[in-house]
Amino acid sequence: MNQLFRISALLAFLAVGVFQAQAQTVVIVNASVPSSTFSVEEVMDVYTLNKTHWDNGARVTVFDLKEGQAKRAFYEYIGMTEDDLQRIWLRKQFTGRARPPHSLSNETELVERVGKTPGGIGYASESAVRGKKNVRIIARLKGAP
Amino acid sequence: MRRLALVIALASGLFLPVTGSAQDGETSLFGSLQTVFFNQKSRLTYGKLQPWGGTEYREERSTFAVQQFDIFLQKPIGESFNAFVDLEYQLNYASDRRWGSLSLQEAWLNYTPMDELSLKVGMLYPAFNNLNEIKNRLALLPYIFRPGPYERLLRDVFLSEDYLPEQAFIQLYGAIPHGDVFWDYAFYVGNASASYISRRGEDGLPENDLNRNFEFLTGVDPTEFNMKLFGGRLGIRAREESFKAGVSLTHDYDNLRDTTRFPPIYDGIRTPLIGDAARVRIGADCSGSIGDVRFESEVIRVLYDHGPAEDRDIELDQLFYYTMLGYSFTDRLFLYGSFQAGRDIFDVTSRHRTITAGAAYRLSDDITAKAQYIVYQNELEHGSHVDELMIRFVFLGFSIVL
Amino acid sequence: MTHAFGRTRVLCVIGAATLLITCANTQRLSAQSDEGLQIFGSMQTVFFHQESELTIEGEGLSPWSGTETRNSFAMQQLDLFLRKEMGDDFTAFVDLEFQLNYSSEARWGSLSLQEAWMNYHVSDAFNVKTGLLFPAFNRLNEIKNRLALLPYLFRPLIYERLLSQKFYAEDFVPEHAFIQLYGSIPIGDFFADYAVYTGNAEASYITRQDSRGGIETDINPNFEFLSGVDPTEFKLKLFGGRLGLRTRDENVAFGVSMTHDYNNLRDTTRYPSYTLSRSARQLLGSDAPRIRIGADLAFRHGPLFFETELIKVLYDYERAERLKLEIEQSFAHGMVGYDIFPALTAYVSVQWGDYTFGIDSDYYVYSFGSAYRVNDAITAKAQLIMYEEGYEEEGVTESAFSHDVTIKFVFLGFSILL
Repeated sequence: MNQLFRISALLAFLAVGVFQAQAQTVVIVNASVPSSTFSVEEVMDVYTLNKTHWDNGARVTVFDLKEGQAKRAFYEYIGMTEDDLQRIWLRKQFTGRARPPHSLSNETELVERVGKTPGGIGYASESAVRGKKNVRIIARLKGAP
Repeated sequence: MRRLALVIALASGLFLPVTGSAQDGETSLFGSLQTVFFNQKSRLTYGKLQPWGGTEYREERSTFAVQQFDIFLQKPIGESFNAFVDLEYQLNYASDRRWGSLSLQEAWLNYTPMDELSLKVGMLYPAFNNLNEIKNRLALLPYIFRPGPYERLLRDVFLSEDYLPEQAFIQLYGAIPHGDVFWDYAFYVGNASASYISRRGEDGLPENDLNRNFEFLTGVDPTEFNMKLFGGRLGIRAREESFKAGVSLTHDYDNLRDTTRFPPIYDGIRTPLIGDAARVRIGADCSGSIGDVRFESEVIRVLYDHGPAEDRDIELDQLFYYTMLGYSFTDRLFLYGSFQAGRDIFDVTSRHRTITAGAAYRLSDDITAKAQYIVYQNELEHGSHVDELMIRFVFLGFSIVL
Repeated sequence: MTHAFGRTRVLCVIGAATLLITCANTQRLSAQSDEGLQIFGSMQTVFFHQESELTIEGEGLSPWSGTETRNSFAMQQLDLFLRKEMGDDFTAFVDLEFQLNYSSEARWGSLSLQEAWMNYHVSDAFNVKTGLLFPAFNRLNEIKNRLALLPYLFRPLIYERLLSQKFYAEDFVPEHAFIQLYGSIPIGDFFADYAVYTGNAEASYITRQDSRGGIETDINPNFEFLSGVDPTEFKLKLFGGRLGLRTRDENVAFGVSMTHDYNNLRDTTRYPSYTLSRSARQLLGSDAPRIRIGADLAFRHGPLFFETELIKVLYDYERAERLKLEIEQSFAHGMVGYDIFPALTAYVSVQWGDYTFGIDSDYYVYSFGSAYRVNDAITAKAQLIMYEEGYEEEGVTESAFSHDVTIKFVFLGFSILL
């Protein structure tokens, strides 16, 4: 019984830790992106496709998730709704000004793609990013659940 | 131990992520191209008085051509929707030289909530007999030169607009499984026939045969709703697709104001008939394969209900039928023979028949070499005169899937 | 022994559980696709019902009135877009547009290259676009044919291609340009947008094919052997620009625009002679310097959104001044819309146009409609439009003439992204 209790406690502790790490959403960029601080406005400019190039002249490649907790947290962070962004992306795409974000199904794929794409930017839960050498966290979302 | 396993199983279940959302497909781009060389020998005997001869004209020509080039776009949207576009380029199209043609043939959105029921909206080829839906998909056909009204190269000779519903805009259709067969059905509605549609005149301004005062658009139908095309097809098809048969029916109107579509000799007959003639097309098709043997046949009858014609005792009636029999000698080589015939009665009677033999050799999955020999004969009786036209074609070509 | 084996078993189960928990957050990878050439598009298929009434009156003429009713299906518009990113700084874009059941042999509709340009990005604040392009003029000009972006089936009059034979949009908006410098400069919570451009003279100057396949022009037929080119000197070209301000979240945007070019008053095909007074016809025959001034405002607040544009077209034309004949045009439209719920939008729109060319024409369009987003790629649309056009001569004594046109449309359709 004591052993069972200890194991359950260990599992519960693991669960809380994993859950918190999962819940913390971070904004990541490819390691090639010049190092600097990014305000929430600048991140919003990237996701509204108003900022299309990094300071070193490299093209910004934007990644987005189809759904999920991280997506909801991120949209709240930049203060935009999905409808607002879709409307802006469509206009930019159909006027040829920008390519809309690559919309991916899961965070692991997103982190991989950001890591492989020079100039890439995306967001995911911190646990998905842990240990990835070719991406850099540029923002941790405050107030993410 | 069991309790431990249960705790672990429950804990693991907490962390299994919820995944899965319908994914829109990418737009896929593909196409087909058929390039030909043909030799044509024509003989027209004009005003032949039986059994004496009349004036005879002959012509021979040889030409290369890109007979047809299609670009298709297809996009799956979610689980139930699919969009499709077909752009067609014919006969060495060049706008500045006024060669050939370029046109949007199909552009539709399909909604399929279940296999038994689909809804297609947009420019589409309606289901009529066997070939109408695939009439321009030359890559799917062994022919270079298609059966009668389906052959776009001779659209005005075979009066395709009279025989076939060329385009529709809404089609409800589906396939209902029943034992070893599917019951196919389709119902559709579309614009009035092409000769009603407003077009660009020589002066560059829009015109139509009905009311020019209000015309400022081309490509639109200036008629009221009762003039539209309504039609459908019911068919049966074996599950393994070795056999297919069906009956088709349409109702629309023929624009008898449009004198450009017929040879001038009809002018005298047409003038009192000017107006809208209610037209019913009835079709039947049967096709299938038994082992390496393939057969196809269709018949189309066109009937008119037109008061001015009845008042003058003028018969308006059209009939076309064809049969094709083919044999796959090997996986790659298909040989076929076909007989077609028909008659068009607009008071005077025009009869035609076509005998054709051909071969299609599949060089690879994407390339087929084709050859076809066609003899077309037409006789027009008017009074004691008979005009005879005979055209002999030899076609060689390649069909390429892009 | 039994106790040691039990502990081992527990450790194995914990290890397995940990592995399972970890693996639950590891999902399959997918290969990265090439950028390459992007091909996409949009199409809008419609059914419309139209009731038209035309009334003509004039001195010496018997009053004439005619009506017509029609119903038609149509593939209103299909656009194919190609886009390619070339390195970090260059982008190419092509828009091929098919309208109204296009068929060259049946002479239906139209096929045209609407845009084909290359963009050189120096910075977000400075870009150079060269090629056939829609210049920045007010808010809608750059997206006037992007039906997938608009809730309309039938656009504001000056942008609606279905009425291009009736309403001379060319006078109101610069249709194409060929070089544009533009950019966006962040200022606090805003972006300041600017654009300056130049292009060919207006479309009616451009050489074209006649019905026999020959080339014709209003300027000098002796030297004409190409169609689609501008036979005018450089001073007749289009010059223009726009300055605007937009919030970062794009919920508010406004701007002012201006162009200078010339109106080709030789082009008598656009003014049927019976519509012009004898005095007004004296204006014909040369080039009238034209200035367009535009203003636009758009805002969105939650589900409520509003767009408006105003255009004034002025002429600096000595011949008109000498004859004391007024030539100017005005156009205004306003649209208010509301997202009843995220997938359903309803809107109303009012438009007014005034076309004064010696005689005075007025246009009014009242419209309301809705757009229902079936999914991200498909929108069902419905729109009711009432178009009224009327003109009459003012202050002219030779002959009085008036005509009124009323057209009611009901449009139903689908817009599909490809």
